[in-house]
Amino acid sequence: MLEHYLPRASSFAGDIDQLVWIIAWIVGVWFVVVEVMFFWLMFRFRKKPGVPARYITGKEKHLKNWINIPHNIILVLDVLLIVAAIRVWVLIKQTMPPADHTVKVMAQQWAWTFTDPGPDGKIDTPDDVRTTDEMHVEVNKTYHFVLESMDVAHSFFIPAFRLKQDADPGRAYTGWFKPTKTGTFDISCAEICGIAHGVMGAKLVVETTQEHTAWMQAHAADAATADAGASAPTDSTTAQPASQ
Amino acid sequence: MLQRAYAGLIAAAVISAFLASCSATPKTGIAHGEELFQNCKPCHGEAGHGNLELRTPAIAGLPDWYIIEQVTKFKGDLRGANPDDMEGHRMRPLARTLYHPGDIENVAAYVSKMPSQWMPPTFTKGDTAAGSVTFNGVCITCHMADGKGNKDLHSPPIAQQSDWYLVAQLNKFHRGWRGYSPEDVYGGQMRAMALTLADSTAMHNVIAYVKTLPH
Ligand code: HEC
Ligand code: HEC
Ligand SMILES: [Cu+2]
Repeated sequence: MLEHYLPRASSFAGDIDQLVWIIAWIVGVWFVVVEVMFFWLMFRFRKKPGVPARYITGKEKHLKNWINIPHNIILVLDVLLIVAAIRVWVLIKQTMPPADHTVKVMAQQWAWTFTDPGPDGKIDTPDDVRTTDEMHVEVNKTYHFVLESMDVAHSFFIPAFRLKQDADPGRAYTGWFKPTKTGTFDISCAEICGIAHGVMGAKLVVETTQEHTAWMQAHAADAATADAGASAPTDSTTAQPASQ
Repeated sequence: MLQRAYAGLIAAAVISAFLASCSATPKTGIAHGEELFQNCKPCHGEAGHGNLELRTPAIAGLPDWYIIEQVTKFKGDLRGANPDDMEGHRMRPLARTLYHPGDIENVAAYVSKMPSQWMPPTFTKGDTAAGSVTFNGVCITCHMADGKGNKDLHSPPIAQQSDWYLVAQLNKFHRGWRGYSPEDVYGGQMRAMALTLADSTAMHNVIAYVKTLPH
């Protein structure tokens, strides 16, 4: 049902949804049971003429069971939840399947910059394809990402992948994903990061190998023409007047 | 009884607040622009005179057509979209927040009516004599002798602007962060002009001269 509202576009999206469901069911059933009990007891033992209120210590076994039995069931269910959660945690956060590609994601107030290593597969080389607020990946390939923040805390959130990773400045976060569905999905920032946090969105395009190659070639051409301006003077936009 | 009276009072307050919010007509024109300008203040300053620390230019008193053009360019990724353009990355999302029809025009109308201020020079380096040659040879055609720009040529006034910002923009044109797209005709024209400036020294010179123009 969740995928009806939000497509599952990564290999682990289903595991996350399953976990969300397990939690929703366990907590949901308890919520209903407890509320029904609560209101039923209030109704059943409401004030009646000629019936005095009774003082109950709750020491008798049959009364204590009202606490003990649910308590024990909850403990068992808790263990179940923890096992389910750890299983998903290990699968997604503790295991890094070997990468087909590695991309760099840089967060800053208020944009996402994506660096695809280009044909040579190495980041920070001249053939890198860098884009702002638009990320292109190939379907059914495992990606490692290196996530960094330039300024404040941000959070890299791809709802369709069921992926969310905080990024604090000064640290490189590694993670992975494997897109399983082609299409265009949203990327957003999930950590309040300043005045334009709400519009710190980006586009994720998951495409087939052919489409991805075509995109890469188009961008490699762009990069070459943009390089015409690379001969610009080096003391840049951040020229400090004081040092002039 | 008292409890009932209280409950009634609260209900009446909630209902009338709700009705009031329904009937309040949204502001239009410059009044709406003034509201929108609240979002610009944190960076461009209360009076719209910019802030060196945040690398924001003075915008108060810029012509409305120029503000509209630039905000539209930020919004349409024609400016501020290069992965290395730090200042552009801060302004661009703000342009995206102006998405209702009329937002950009209204805020531009308000900002253009704000009193502009001549920003004193901050650079001490810069050969004004050499800069004068460049300015009166090249830039004058579009930015005019007084540096006040020309609407027909879509060239903005630059005489009043902070020198550090102007040099930064010349760099951005030079690097192809501004005026790089064939869609951006006037930006492209300015880019060609920036490419005639050989280096950082030439940029500082011409801007040092711009700051000597009468105000
Ligand atoms: C988060 C900070 C921030 C906010 C908020 C902000 N701006 Fe800006 N603005 C900037 C920066 C930084 C630049 C310079 C960009 C550059 O160097 O290319 C800029 C540039 C501009 C320019 C270009 C001026 C020129 O001379 O070309 C205009 C116009 C402008 N802003 C209008 C606005 C308006 C209108 C608002 C409010 C809706 C606003 N800004 C809100 C940071 C901000
Ligand atoms: C062909 C006409 C033309 C000439 C000549 C010209 N400019 Fe421009 N200039 C423009 C236009 C048009 C813009 C606005 C560009 C845009 O819309 O992005 C501009 C923008 C600028 C800006 C950015 C202002 C701002 O507020 O962001 C600076 C700085 C500038 N010019 C300096 C110069 C200098 C210095 C020279 C001389 C070397 C020069 N220009 C020559 C047309 C010209
Ligand atoms: Cu953010």
